[in-house]
Amino acid sequence: MAWLPKKTVVVPIDFSDRSMPAMETALELVDSPSSIHAIYVMAELSEVDPGVLYGGIDDGERTQNSVDSLNKTFGDAKFAGFKPVVRLGDPGNEIVDYAKQANADLIVIPSHGRTGLEHLLLGSVAERVARLAKCPVLVLRG
Amino acid sequence: MLRAKRALTNHPLMAIFGGLLIVSLVAASVMAEPSPQDGKAETQTPSDSDGDSDGDAKTADGDAKAEGDEEKEPTSFAGKLDKAFGDWVVKPLTSVLFYDFGSASWLGASVPLVVAWLAAGAVFFTVRMLFINFRAFWHAIRLTKGDYDDPSEPGEVSHFQALASALSATVGLGNIAGVAIAIGTGGPGAVIWIAVVGLLGMSMKFVECSLGQMYRKVLPDGTVSGGPMHYLKDGLANMGMAGFGKVLAFVFAVFCILASLGGGNTFQVVQAKGAVFQQLPESMQKPYMDYVYGGLMAFFVGIVIIGGIKRIGAAAGKIVPLMCGLYVTICLYIIFANIGQVGGAFKEIWDGAFTQSAAVGGLIGTLVIGIQRAVFSNEAGVGSASIAHSAARTDEPISEGIVALLEPFIDTVVICTMTALVIVLTDACNVDANQEFIKAKEGASLTAAAWKSQVWWFPYILAVAVTLFAYSTLISWSYYGERCSVLLFGQGASIIYRVIFVICAFLGALLGPSNVLDFSDLMIFCMAFVNVMGIALLSGQVKRRLDDYWSRYKKGELEPDVKYNNS
Repeated sequence: MAWLPKKTVVVPIDFSDRSMPAMETALELVDSPSSIHAIYVMAELSEVDPGVLYGGIDDGERTQNSVDSLNKTFGDAKFAGFKPVVRLGDPGNEIVDYAKQANADLIVIPSHGRTGLEHLLLGSVAERVARLAKCPVLVLRG
Repeated sequence: MLRAKRALTNHPLMAIFGGLLIVSLVAASVMAEPSPQDGKAETQTPSDSDGDSDGDAKTADGDAKAEGDEEKEPTSFAGKLDKAFGDWVVKPLTSVLFYDFGSASWLGASVPLVVAWLAAGAVFFTVRMLFINFRAFWHAIRLTKGDYDDPSEPGEVSHFQALASALSATVGLGNIAGVAIAIGTGGPGAVIWIAVVGLLGMSMKFVECSLGQMYRKVLPDGTVSGGPMHYLKDGLANMGMAGFGKVLAFVFAVFCILASLGGGNTFQVVQAKGAVFQQLPESMQKPYMDYVYGGLMAFFVGIVIIGGIKRIGAAAGKIVPLMCGLYVTICLYIIFANIGQVGGAFKEIWDGAFTQSAAVGGLIGTLVIGIQRAVFSNEAGVGSASIAHSAARTDEPISEGIVALLEPFIDTVVICTMTALVIVLTDACNVDANQEFIKAKEGASLTAAAWKSQVWWFPYILAVAVTLFAYSTLISWSYYGERCSVLLFGQGASIIYRVIFVICAFLGALLGPSNVLDFSDLMIFCMAFVNVMGIALLSGQVKRRLDDYWSRYKKGELEPDVKYNNS
């Protein structure tokens, strides 16, 4: 019996080694992988990135590559049917925006557990999501 | 601006960081004098910046920076800030990097630590890689031509495009102004040393760009991210020096951000301005023109890096090879027009390089100046270019390193040597009217004077060329600095960095050339110091990859038809 039958769970994916456990946790909570929305947020490219300047890469192509990467990383049969989502911008804001738009019932997000200077300089997406989200957030500790 | 707002609200620290930087930049501009168009230099140097806040420029000749220069206590906030910056940041760095082991007394000339470090690095990599700079030259040309390009390999741009975008950052005012300064202060002999350092620098560039490719990260969206920040951290971690690598990568990124605002920005603007203003009629040489030039430069940089008008940036990048061609053509014209004197000029250069001229501390003094200006121009060992080269589409890291070795060749062995030959042939350094340019370190103005002595309208072409070189260098360096800010402070820092970069482009037009050159030098050499230390440790990995690559190349396994048939 799933904890959240027929409900929507958003799982932010950054392709680090913590992404897989997060997806697995989400899978335990729902009754079908189709309730899982795996979202990857791409950074905005600098306008003067060589690839942008010479037209070697554009946002459409990047989105397609990202969807392919999500499908490949979670290609295991147990995830079959999950919804890959790709957004562009600041990860914290985009994850929260998407969760609102998709009427998510829960966000499952791993925390990097950066401490000290690195935490001060880079901050934490998980913290921001927990602070700004309109739905419950499950922060997985590493 | 929405992005800027989000970046600020997302990270309060970023707001503090950005605010502090803007305050210090404004303070710096308040204390800085408008450009000395009357040919008088502000003589502050990193080692004796004394916070001359009341705007009372020291207009005495170059000797005014002597030790006896009395220290005035600054009264204004800007002056105090500048003094604190000089005392606590620039002075300690200068005393470490430019520490000369007292060599002035036992060698006859001061050899700063960082110059010895770079020279040793260039020789070491050339020997260790068994003269890769010569043996891979033809292969480099074929790679750049696209003979081995495979669009299905990971990356963003072709070999040629990666080289062009790295070149647009390296070919700049360092080639025109920096070299002229070297001849002006080090004598004609500096030419030889600039060319030699260019040749040896090719090996150094090969090593750092191969490493950039070896440790680049291919992101899930197909974009790549590479450069010293990655290979210092991950490469040294592979060798069991994770902590040390992390520190080096962090320090490198900090210096890269500052260098992008110095040598990659204000130095370019201030020198280009010199060459342009010299061509203006007297009636237009008003102080407000500084603001106009700075404003225009900032506007055109801003519409690309903040406004996102990519076409202009792409056009600037593509125009660089064309401008290089035009520049070399004019230099060649001047050389052929003076063909009779070429023999004499070579003798002067040769004698200057190997005999003791008292003025700059003899052979060693000339050598030091040559190395400094060559490195400043071609960035070999600095590590910056490997950020651009990492974007090349290839699955053979060594191949991009080999492409990269053409960069110091084009930049230094060809373009810098051309500038130098013209300066020596036209005897520009010995013309009385030009002495003030040498003292004020207005190198681009010196080159313009040399060109003018040949054909009256040449300086107008130079004015256009330097502005375009400066512009494309700014665009490319903003990318290097932006990458490092994002790595250090997260994605939100990107827009803040870009705003600061545009402000600096404007301030560049207001600052004195001497000040800017000293700061730019310091930052570029700080990057080089850290980077060369790292790549020396990592050079074994490059050597193994190179040997493997070279043996496959020799067997013909890399030829496109063979490679496809096997795979």
